[in-house]
Amino acid sequence: MNDPTTDTAALPQDGQEHRLHPLSWLFVLIAQLKNFIPALIVLLFAGRGDQTDLYGLIAVVVLVAVSLAQYFTYRYLLRGDAIVIRSGWLHRSVREIPYARIHNVNLHQSLLHRLFGVAEVRLESAGGIKPEAQMRVLRLDQAEALEALIRQRGHATSNDAPQVDALEAAPLLAMSNAEVLRLGLISNRGMLVVAAAFGALAQTGDNVFGVLIDHWGEVAFGWFTGFAGAHADDNPVVVGLAVASLVLVALLLVRLLSVLLAFLQYHGFTLREDDARIRVERGLLARTRSSAKRRRIQSWSLHEGVLHRWFDRRSLRVQTASGQRGEGAQQSLKELAPIATPAHCDALIQHFLPAAGWDALHWRPLHRHAWWRIAVPGVLMLLAGTAVLTWHFGLIGLAMPALLPLQLWRARRIADACGHACNDQLVAWRSGWLSKTWNFAEIGKIQAVRLAQSPLDRRLGMASLLLDTAGASPFGAPLYLRQLPVDVARDLSARLLGQLARRRP
Amino acid sequence: MSDADLDRATAEATDWRAPPARAVRLHAASVALGFAAFPLLACAAVLFTSDVDELWRRLGWCLGALLLASIAGLLLGARLRFQRWVLDDAGLWLRQGRLWWRETRVPVSRVQHVDLKHGPLERRFGLATLVVHTAAVHLSGITVRGLDDADAQHLRDALAKQLDDAGDAL
Repeated sequence: MNDPTTDTAALPQDGQEHRLHPLSWLFVLIAQLKNFIPALIVLLFAGRGDQTDLYGLIAVVVLVAVSLAQYFTYRYLLRGDAIVIRSGWLHRSVREIPYARIHNVNLHQSLLHRLFGVAEVRLESAGGIKPEAQMRVLRLDQAEALEALIRQRGHATSNDAPQVDALEAAPLLAMSNAEVLRLGLISNRGMLVVAAAFGALAQTGDNVFGVLIDHWGEVAFGWFTGFAGAHADDNPVVVGLAVASLVLVALLLVRLLSVLLAFLQYHGFTLREDDARIRVERGLLARTRSSAKRRRIQSWSLHEGVLHRWFDRRSLRVQTASGQRGEGAQQSLKELAPIATPAHCDALIQHFLPAAGWDALHWRPLHRHAWWRIAVPGVLMLLAGTAVLTWHFGLIGLAMPALLPLQLWRARRIADACGHACNDQLVAWRSGWLSKTWNFAEIGKIQAVRLAQSPLDRRLGMASLLLDTAGASPFGAPLYLRQLPVDVARDLSARLLGQLARRRP
Repeated sequence: MSDADLDRATAEATDWRAPPARAVRLHAASVALGFAAFPLLACAAVLFTSDVDELWRRLGWCLGALLLASIAGLLLGARLRFQRWVLDDAGLWLRQGRLWWRETRVPVSRVQHVDLKHGPLERRFGLATLVVHTAAVHLSGITVRGLDDADAQHLRDALAKQLDDAGDAL
């Protein structure tokens, strides 16, 4: 997908309606089969009679028919200001999407797509779980031309000349293979696969792990017997070594898997900007290209874990307003820099938010008793743990509170590491101690503000401030400023709201 | 913030609006009823299934649970009396709770749309619930319960009117 030209000649623009790629039914079928895989598996394994085979066949025929029907009824028309999509046979729909309302354009190519030279196009507007339009599939050059067309028409209504040369500009970030390798080493992507595999293995009912450990023990003991004498089996050192080596091998495998996944997903990662659109392209076998308007970005987060710090890297993510979940979520624009050096990350932020003063933020600390509040959950857990241990094992459980100073120290470190900052453009929240995160958003992107106090907060004179943006994760708001002194929180809230009221978006 | 502070802050803005007493009563009663639904079902089950000698003991437990659930529901529902709201040029303020105190603020330029809801009981008492939708994820539907009908209409109109001249907030 490296075609740099924005040649829209490939696209039919003569006011006629057009169809998808002739092979599109195949991809629709495949997508539908994916949804039906559980049902098909049940059909394959549960029933062994001839009849169920027949049902399976009928199901497939129906699916093919549906896919073909979709192909024959799906038409799109490119108008000057909007794309019009007509679809459906019995239940017809005509959908008109103005180019200016299309926030994100994603082009996706799996290996199969690449074999046929086609791509799937998703057009997303703000909000909504489903994409505004999902065109599977278009010829690759048409898909690219469509993307370019949306970029031009959606942006420049005053200026009709296509800005072709912007595409040629050097990428803002291009990841080399060494960087992808680092990303794999840092990330825990492999862990997810391993966890899934463990889950699947545990489901089989056979004692896979027991067998594995036995075999490994035999191999390792056999090797050690030559080493440590005939009765090595009983030697605790040998048993310990066997277990430790097994764990080590598992860890290595996880890392290897992580690296492999990183290469699959991030090989050839490039970040470009043209016409105020940010565009990311990545993937080894399946290529994905997503783009979003710069001003559609709602909030930013910069992350630095322990492993990141070892490699002197950080990662920069953004949240855009489209509420994509599931399949689509993987393809929308999220990562501006999967990993990059801290300086490079800062430079990227500086590039996209030139007036925001990210590097000159004045960070303010939490309430001076914040560490107290932070320690509370851990201390309660510790007390509960002590109670349980003492109940079960007697007085030895009373040794648990020895961890208390450690817990308090940790809370203190966390409290020291957190902070907030706010200037005329940005509001930022920094959190985490071993694994650090900086979340920030332009003030104009804040949608609503909530100031809250729990009884404990009130006693300690603190408050928390939730600054909610459209692109927040449902699992936790990026800008949730906790343990601020109550007057500071009030001032900040009043200040932000004052700015929001003055600023008409 | 102590209670005195809260009262003072409430006194400062003269136009902080509290829900009418009938709204608080209605809300407390409906929450209590919701909480009592399960123990009530259990009571019914006991009545129809138990032997006579076991009946009174079991029924006692169920009635106890019913009483507790109702009281908890009443207390929770009655927290509506701490709710205060005010609409100014910049947007809507909403204060809720007393122990777990929170103040939510929606700038009017960020309101996406407004729902006005009347349940059957609310209609009977001339009350309404207003839901202010924003594009935010966590504060997406800010609910103001127990509004007087006229107030609710006014709020809805005021918020919706300003919607027209605000642009795309995303």
